[in-house]
Amino acid sequence: MSTGKETAGEGLATGIHNIMIEDHVKVTCFSEVSDDLTLHFQIIRLPNQIYAWIGCNSAKFGHLYAAAPTRPNNTVSVASLLAGASDNTGSGIARRIVLKTGLNVILACNIPKENPMLEVNAEKRLVQKLIELGYAKPKSKGLSS
Amino acid sequence: MDASELGFPVRHKKLSVDITGNRTDIVICSYDDHILVIATQIGSLGTIINARKEEGVLTNPTFHVSVIFGKRDEPVLVACARQLIEHISNSGSSRPLILSLGLKDHSLGTLKGIVSAVIENCMW
Repeated sequence: MSTGKETAGEGLATGIHNIMIEDHVKVTCFSEVSDDLTLHFQIIRLPNQIYAWIGCNSAKFGHLYAAAPTRPNNTVSVASLLAGASDNTGSGIARRIVLKTGLNVILACNIPKENPMLEVNAEKRLVQKLIELGYAKPKSKGLSS
Repeated sequence: MDASELGFPVRHKKLSVDITGNRTDIVICSYDDHILVIATQIGSLGTIINARKEEGVLTNPTFHVSVIFGKRDEPVLVACARQLIEHISNSGSSRPLILSLGLKDHSLGTLKGIVSAVIENCMW
């Protein structure tokens, strides 16, 4: 994956903008270029849940999914809430984010279906950022797929 | 707090208000084809509602509002979405609304407080 867009002279690292109000809600927005396409990421951290949006070359909302670890044996459940299906890009990304981070996630994603490398790159970057920001839960109990 | 970050295609606004004694965190995001409003008192998105305008050919627009995640038996939530989509429509925008409400109480006072706070800070 290529480097992110720089916002020179502002003291912000690679286009990342963090705005926090008393730790309840934190919004992080950043963009990265991947194979001539621009991926936009928006993460809204709430105390008990994460909302994330991934945009590919546009600011269209895309499909919406909910995913969370599910008792009793810590599997991951995914539900398509708006316009998506289990074979759409966002469904798999949402599921794997929960597997890798243990978070309860609502994901909106407009990445097209026919580009698996783009999907992989977007997911990798988002998971990386979630871990970097300290949002991922420690892997004390593994999530089963 | 209005955050139109340089170069980022989605504008958003974040604020925190007291509504009927409960701290309420509100985030409003403006996508190309949707408006997202999150209003939470419980630290999660709560119930998610989709509201859109349906253009009539000869009649005034009607609105379709449905719960897509969460409480389906709480009319105040649907009423809140309906009020906001009507405001969006009256402002000249035809973008649908995704409204997420995580509320501690579902009183009319809370509904009015949320509608008022969102409209005051609207991004459409």
